Amino acid sequence: MSYTLIVAEVRRGVFEERNLDSLGLGALLGDEAVLLVPDGAYEAADKLVDAVLKIKAPEEVYLNPMNMGKILEAVFAARGKPDHILFTQSSSGMEAAAYAAGLFGMPVITDVSGYDKDAGVFLKSYYSDKVFGQFKAAGAPAILTVRSGSFREFAAEKAAAAAAEAIEGAAAVETRTFVEYVEEEKTDIDITKAEFLLSVGRGIGNQDEVAGYEELAGVLKAVLSGSRPVIDKLWLPKARQVGTSGKTVKPKVYLAMGISGAFQHIAGMKDSDCIIAVNKDPGAPIFQYAHYGIIGDIHKVRDKLKELAKG
Amino acid sequence: MLEQAATRVLTCIQCGKCTGSCPESGRTPFNVRMLVRKKQFQSAVDEALPWYCTSCGACTIRCPRDVKPSEVVIELRAKLVEDGDIPVALQKALENTFVQKNPWGRSRNKRADWLEKLDFEVPHVSETESKRLLFVCCIQAYDPRCMVIPVNVARLFKAGGLEFGILGEQEACCGNEIRRIGEAGLFEELEEENKAAFEEYGVKEIVALSPHCMNALKKEYGDTGIKVVHYTELLAPLVEEGAIKLPGSFGKKVIYHDPCFLGKQNGVFDEPRSILSAVPGLTLLEFSRSREVSLCCEGGGGRMFFEVEATYQRNAEVRVLDAVDKGAEVIATACPFCVMTLEDPATEKGLAVKELSEILTEVL
Amino acid sequence: MNILVFTKRVAATQEEELRITGEGQAVDLSKVPFKVNDWDNYSVEEAVRIVDKSGGSVTAISIGDAESDEVLRRAIAMGARDGFLVETGDVLNDPFTRGELIRSFVDKEKVPFDIILTGVQSEDDQFGAVGGILAGLMGLPYASMVIGIDAVEKDHVIIRRELEGGLQEKVKVATPCVLSIQSGINEPRYVSIMGIRKASKVERKVFKADGYEKGSPKIELIKWVYPEKKGGATMLDGELADVCGQLLGILKEKGVYQ
Repeated sequence: MSYTLIVAEVRRGVFEERNLDSLGLGALLGDEAVLLVPDGAYEAADKLVDAVLKIKAPEEVYLNPMNMGKILEAVFAARGKPDHILFTQSSSGMEAAAYAAGLFGMPVITDVSGYDKDAGVFLKSYYSDKVFGQFKAAGAPAILTVRSGSFREFAAEKAAAAAAEAIEGAAAVETRTFVEYVEEEKTDIDITKAEFLLSVGRGIGNQDEVAGYEELAGVLKAVLSGSRPVIDKLWLPKARQVGTSGKTVKPKVYLAMGISGAFQHIAGMKDSDCIIAVNKDPGAPIFQYAHYGIIGDIHKVRDKLKELAKG
Repeated sequence: MLEQAATRVLTCIQCGKCTGSCPESGRTPFNVRMLVRKKQFQSAVDEALPWYCTSCGACTIRCPRDVKPSEVVIELRAKLVEDGDIPVALQKALENTFVQKNPWGRSRNKRADWLEKLDFEVPHVSETESKRLLFVCCIQAYDPRCMVIPVNVARLFKAGGLEFGILGEQEACCGNEIRRIGEAGLFEELEEENKAAFEEYGVKEIVALSPHCMNALKKEYGDTGIKVVHYTELLAPLVEEGAIKLPGSFGKKVIYHDPCFLGKQNGVFDEPRSILSAVPGLTLLEFSRSREVSLCCEGGGGRMFFEVEATYQRNAEVRVLDAVDKGAEVIATACPFCVMTLEDPATEKGLAVKELSEILTEVL
Repeated sequence: MNILVFTKRVAATQEEELRITGEGQAVDLSKVPFKVNDWDNYSVEEAVRIVDKSGGSVTAISIGDAESDEVLRRAIAMGARDGFLVETGDVLNDPFTRGELIRSFVDKEKVPFDIILTGVQSEDDQFGAVGGILAGLMGLPYASMVIGIDAVEKDHVIIRRELEGGLQEKVKVATPCVLSIQSGINEPRYVSIMGIRKASKVERKVFKADGYEKGSPKIELIKWVYPEKKGGATMLDGELADVCGQLLGILKEKGVYQ
């Protein structure tokens, strides 16, 4: 009987919130939803699935894509092959999904953000969300990674929590081993605690403009943050990065200037109470997520805001 | 080129006239006489130094021995470019120019979007009889502040009965700043592309909106047999002879700032002044440092794309203070880079900065 | 130390408005300029830095049409010793196909390697899967989202992976291995046009893709669609001062500004 295997992302004892989107897609797919989790004490969403498989492998072993290959083999041996295997679209999910696809020769579609049950197609972003491709997998099992925020509203609670079934793990590989976690340098800025963020993106053009935005942030009593390109170029420190590889923020107001709205950035701020976007490009995806928008030259807006706020 | 350079620097007598006229000397660590000296002895140069140069050309104009210090700076920069060791902001500008043919990396397909602001059609230069090409320039095609300039000039030319056409999306960056940043290879590619278009469409005359473009097209594209002028050179006679009527009035005290690439480097001083003098109600003022000794606004030499490390009072601020001293209400100029660099400090001091076409349009 | 680094020529769509043609058959890229994939630029730079320190050589490989030679020349200008083009005019929508093709090529041509580098993803399809698929197919140790390579030893590397929320994990990976490089790992050097011209003097070997196996596609692209227009923002209109005044009003309303 076909089932959907949902590989949970669990790190440092936390059952990641984005697992909910995998659970949501699992519900939409309609087959028996089976959650795979590692050993350890944490809150798993056992009320949102039909069955839970707890593999006797600790987190660091489980999160290693090469070990995940062996774990999947153990699952297939115990339960047969599923129709779909879902991973989160995340650092570990992408890695494991791609590796498993190569290992088992299975189709893989990443960053799935939509599913049309009637047409049987999965929606996948191209060109940074400018267009989407509708994809079908040519065979089962098919591996998918699920975009955060795309399906969680479909996760449905069952009558009772599923009981966890234990599965034996295999010996961990030695060709890749976890050494340690590396925390980012502690700075006194924690943008996740700010209630007003002024965020700048690639559109500010060059490093010299940062000072002007710092000034504006000061005048408006906002905390300055930035999107990935700004951090990659070292215009702002890593601690100020908003996005999936930075921080997820939910301030009262998120004022985005010169940020186009690449999905990885949106994922880091879309739950902000009020999103205001300023960008010269009327087609910038961020306007889809913003509550208010201004189309214009961001430096001019910055300077005028400073002038009005100071005066 | 390298051999000429080597012998040229040997004629330098270290008189110091170059540093004496340099807008960066004294206020920044940049000392062009010393750079020439280092080149003479082939000694190492601090890699931050060459990037201060604004390409105003004053040193080369005043050198009594034809050492061409501004070219020495370009050669120093070229070495850094080849080593890949240049400020990230400049890298971006160069890479953008390579991909989209403009340093801001804006879509090439949108280069003619400024036409949407006009209520008449502008033909492709191939469809004109005169084969007079209006070379728009990257910053004027894309920057919201400067986009008014081509719009204004198009209207003024129409009012004056001057036929012209454009290349639209086929226009590539002229490469003036690119060459000054030291990326000779990229400059050559841009030059080739533009020249091929000029040839294909039988361009006979090029009217540049930016003095930077005019400079490259006129002096650095080799012998194309095409006449290159700045738009003020065509507009001045039309305004003087009354072919363009200026019924309005611009009752302000306007001080004219000579752009380096228009004035000292290409000798166009009178036409902009004659245009301003013809504007009813306008009082024309002069800076003490005007014409050949006009103070460089520091927008050239790649400085438009990145910031140098030293913090000092920028020339643009000094210029604005000079304007205030002379009692000016408006600083007029005929170069988009001057407009951009002067506008922020001017606004802080309550002065307006207007490109010539903006003043004319107000009285049209 | 032999490093293979894969580099791809992609459409530069950042500033462009994209049009879907027909009934969703294709995306019109005819007027879009092309450039090197940003992630691959970081990979090539990283590869060159590794061999600068540890000795060895970098071989750049590109799977694509004849124009992809451009990214090979760029890699050579950055310091790769040679460049191989596996030429195909097909658009390979399925990352699995790409992975198979690479595996077949490397096996058949017996290309020696200690480390294979790919970028985490390409700017166009953003699948982010080729590196992992390749590692899985070849049975090689794998790590993706590599944000730092801290040590390169004879039989292993110590790398750092980028996780979420600014956290990183340090991982030991045995060589030979496949690593997918994350953007921001280094600051790539500028490559001048003259440098690229000089690189043209180095022969780039061309191999025809149909000489290798790529299997049949495991996923099928049915059609292209535009993104769903969500509610959309309330656009603030008017003169600059007006619009900014409205913005300040919203900030006051939300209680974050007095």
